[in-house]
Amino acid sequence: MPMKRIRYSELLMYFALSLGGLVSVLPMIYMLSTSLKPNGALYEYPPHFFPSKSNITVENYIYIFQQQKFYINFINSLLVSVLTVALAAAISASLAFCIARFRFPGRRMLFGLVIATMIIPGTALIVPQFELATFLHITNKLWGLIPFYVAWVIPFSTFMIKGFIEGIPRDFDEAVYMDGGSVFTVFRAIAVPLSGPAIASVSIFNFLTAWEEYPWALTVINDNAKRTLPIAIAGFFGEHQFTQWGYVFAMSVASLIPVLIIFICFQRYFVKGLQTGGIKG
Amino acid sequence: MGKDGVMEAKSLKNRLQIFLLLLPGIFMFAVFTIYPIGKLLFMSFFQSGYGSSPADAFVGFQSYKMVLSDRTFWVSFENTLLYTLVTVPAQMATGLLAAVLINGLPRFQVGFRVIYYLPVITSWVIVSLVFKYIFNTEGMLNYFLSQVIRATEGNIAWLDSRWGGLTVAMLLGIWKGVGWNMVVFLAALQNVPKALYESASIDGCGAVHKFFYITLPSIKSTTLFALVMLTIGGFNVFTSIKMITDGKPMHQTETVLTWMYYKAFNEGQFSYAAALSFIVAVVLVFLAVLQFRTMKNRDEGD
Repeated sequence: MPMKRIRYSELLMYFALSLGGLVSVLPMIYMLSTSLKPNGALYEYPPHFFPSKSNITVENYIYIFQQQKFYINFINSLLVSVLTVALAAAISASLAFCIARFRFPGRRMLFGLVIATMIIPGTALIVPQFELATFLHITNKLWGLIPFYVAWVIPFSTFMIKGFIEGIPRDFDEAVYMDGGSVFTVFRAIAVPLSGPAIASVSIFNFLTAWEEYPWALTVINDNAKRTLPIAIAGFFGEHQFTQWGYVFAMSVASLIPVLIIFICFQRYFVKGLQTGGIKG
Repeated sequence: MGKDGVMEAKSLKNRLQIFLLLLPGIFMFAVFTIYPIGKLLFMSFFQSGYGSSPADAFVGFQSYKMVLSDRTFWVSFENTLLYTLVTVPAQMATGLLAAVLINGLPRFQVGFRVIYYLPVITSWVIVSLVFKYIFNTEGMLNYFLSQVIRATEGNIAWLDSRWGGLTVAMLLGIWKGVGWNMVVFLAALQNVPKALYESASIDGCGAVHKFFYITLPSIKSTTLFALVMLTIGGFNVFTSIKMITDGKPMHQTETVLTWMYYKAFNEGQFSYAAALSFIVAVVLVFLAVLQFRTMKNRDEGD
């Protein structure tokens, strides 16, 4: 008897989760299926969720991949995102390590600032940051995006990594100091490797932040050749009199691929990195 | 070593190394975050000069008065508040439910995790366009509602009205946010000691009882964390509105940040935009403090 009850509730759980999962993926599948329809059939009425078998085409993808600017935008996004992730990881891990382990003047104030700047949404600072970028002559420059992205993600990354480092037993540090190691040695041999899951998990967040960032890149980049993918996709959307949904969605699907790969490769760090990180219990 | 576990570096070499580790972070903070915050405050009190009078003129609280007496600002504020009040609890409840269910599964945990997380990793620009396409007047949803299940007569012009446009943005916000909540709550759930549940089972507690008396109290700090982060995210809503309605019709669907952006970059009113941003920042700090206080008081009340 009890066996049967468990199985029934389990079935219900699978059913509920599958229903939710369907809602999660349905819009994505619709995007994919629209990208596989002939571009002219996009205002068909009645609309079809799936293209009919004879109608499936990759012409939208061919069009996108034949355009040189797609590759430029793609590489721009990749470059900016990878550099943002690397710099943010190095800077945040150093900050987090020092705040978690050492007493120094201004320590509490620094951590207070980390928390406080997490509260202010990035876009709210867009006006003074625009003035700053103009002053530094880094508007309309691809690499000029990076310092701003890094600065945006540092607070959250530092907060998460600090929580993780605090969970690493201090005896490990002590052993290194006993052996004559310095602060750098502990950082390199203990803090960085052992907080790997937290660094990996915030790095995925940071990659995503840079990869999809829209308002700032829209504001400071003017040249087509310096645009990142989100701006290119949004621009594609506005550029024609009536929207070429097939092209827009083909480009969207293509831009999703790197994120998907990274996410699937690193997804096991995701829960683990959050678990022992800044949020406990 | 102090009682909080931090220690003071003794040797000069180690102090120097700590300083070097802190330097890049403090530099980035100072230049790209702290300076802009100061500049924001400065800009809100000064009118930037033009042509013949290039010096900035001190205008006191004039920009703040302009913001607070601007009807569109209040419309945008209402919209943002509504967006936050609707999307935050909806995402948290759905995400927590998904996390509890996934946590109880004997298999396929990873599969569900990936599926629920898909909307989170898809960029705002893309999902906004997908939703705009689905909610198009001649789009799939209207077809489904009026022709397939015949729930509505004719097509609804979702994107042509204030409440229609906001509804689409809010549905998008919830849909995209559930996965993040699921992962955050799943991390917290896996930290709850299993012994608590076992002893509750021995006492004859059912699943619902366990949820309210063990699970919820155990994940309180995560709930607070999610609440604060999502409230900030709610006030930060920008890309979806910009892509889906662009504030139309007649600025009725603007949120505080899209309106700020419009004033700054379409009308060149930087001083107004700075004052607006500062008001938003103050509201958010106030809300965050309030949320922390409320949760803390509840702790002490126990």
